[in-house]
Amino acid sequence: MDGLAKNFGPVQALRGVSFSVEPGEVFGYLGPNGAGKTTTLRIVVGLVRATGGTVRLFGRSPQDPRSREQLGFLPGDLHLYGDLTARQLLDYFARFRPAQTPRQRAELIERLGLEVTVLPRRVKFLSHGTRQKLGLIVAMQHDPALLLLDEPSNGLDPLVQQSFREIVRDFASRGRSVLVSSHVLSEVEVICQRVAILRQGEIVALETIEQLRANVVRRLTVHFEKAVPEQLLKLDAVTRSETDGSTATLWVRGDLNPLLRALADARVQDFVFPEPDLEDIFLSYYRSAPVSNA
Amino acid sequence: MRNLLRRLARRHLALIFACGAILAGFQFLICAIVASIDMTSAAQQIIAFLPPVMQTVLAPLLAGATDAGMVAFGWNHPITHALGLAVAISLAARAIAGEVESGAIELVAAQPISRTTYVLAQVVFAISMIATIGGLGITATALGQRVFDLDPFPPQRLLLLLLTFISLQVAAFGITLAFSSFGREAGRVAFAGVLVALLSYLIQAIAALWPRAAWIGPYSLHFYYDPREVLVNGTFAASETLLLAGVFAAATAIALRRYQSRDLP
Repeated sequence: MDGLAKNFGPVQALRGVSFSVEPGEVFGYLGPNGAGKTTTLRIVVGLVRATGGTVRLFGRSPQDPRSREQLGFLPGDLHLYGDLTARQLLDYFARFRPAQTPRQRAELIERLGLEVTVLPRRVKFLSHGTRQKLGLIVAMQHDPALLLLDEPSNGLDPLVQQSFREIVRDFASRGRSVLVSSHVLSEVEVICQRVAILRQGEIVALETIEQLRANVVRRLTVHFEKAVPEQLLKLDAVTRSETDGSTATLWVRGDLNPLLRALADARVQDFVFPEPDLEDIFLSYYRSAPVSNA
Repeated sequence: MRNLLRRLARRHLALIFACGAILAGFQFLICAIVASIDMTSAAQQIIAFLPPVMQTVLAPLLAGATDAGMVAFGWNHPITHALGLAVAISLAARAIAGEVESGAIELVAAQPISRTTYVLAQVVFAISMIATIGGLGITATALGQRVFDLDPFPPQRLLLLLLTFISLQVAAFGITLAFSSFGREAGRVAFAGVLVALLSYLIQAIAALWPRAAWIGPYSLHFYYDPREVLVNGTFAASETLLLAGVFAAATAIALRRYQSRDLP
């Protein structure tokens, strides 16, 4: 997609969003509620028409139904036909692609832990989590070349979430592409190679997970035996600091070697330097990035 | 399209079966009632008891109270209209607005089918189902006339009545489908469809009963549906059926155009 824009009346939901998903890639699409993630996915699927910009799906316009033959889609707000049984529902959506057999169905049922007794039951009597599993199977059963997942782990318990991540990794390892829209940052961090961060309809970051981690402002808490060394707070890597007696909290970024050397010269009692997670990265971008026309 | 049609059949089977059975039962009952009353002498006795002025007004109307006329009236009875409209309006309201309201449209529209195919499937299904319940009713009329020894209508007239019945109901379906293509709630769309149908029926009734208001008759869909003319007199106005078909085609074209361009859900 290139320069994608969408207006809902006077509201600019998307402003010049551009990115592509490569074969075999798991791409994360992050942002807070209302940032425009779902609107982007709906444009890609052809549900919503873009106001500006272009989207190509396997070289075709999203309005061309042939572009959706190799597509799997899980809506964020999943609604299924309650009057059908789980098996009838899977068959119904499989029949939209008569040339493609639902070859992944049996494996997905097993890996997502969908009990066989669920299949003859009507969807309206199933739990939210089970319906979410059904939605995932509907999206993936025909082994599509591109998978669009909007908040896929909604309602899934932690064990099933783990299975789901493995399924997505296996999926990508076969050369399939996956676009995961989520605000569950730990999930995206684990399965995605690249991430775009969306803020108020604009992409504020589009980088690999490693690049994002390198850019993040991390928090280091150090307990010294004596007073906090003054020169420590003046290092380039330290963007902000707070001291409380012999304890210093430092927000650091970039090359940490000068900081480590300075710490080696001081008498350190203890320090806490947690692994940065995407939450920190996300908040760094979200707080600092300027937004035009906001 | 076959997949969508199968789904529609499964979803609406109960409604179609219920409406078809009630319509058939009602038409059969009309034949039973007509067979148990001497309609012509009953009408003459009523006229004889009326004052001269009223006789002048009502005589032409009651002169049509023959067995065949009363059986034909069964096809213009409010119950018959209500059953036909129940199918036409509910199918149209659920077709788009109902699916948007339930949220299911998001997953269906993401499948490799065009929006045109989706609407055409709804239209083909609706016409088939309206024809089915109409056919059940017509069969019940023919059967009732045989069972109760009434003079049977020629099969050709029954088929032409079926055609006009379908035309009227698909016109109502098309108008409601146009509302549905703009709407997000099936209930509100169905209400609008019922309102249009009710208004059409009232306009026709007023135009028929009040000569000074006869000019408003052509603005009603029901003006172009006259079972008595078709069944009793054997008069079939193809232009009137075509006009109803034209209303259906125009309204469906609006629905299609709107559905193709609207954002979902």
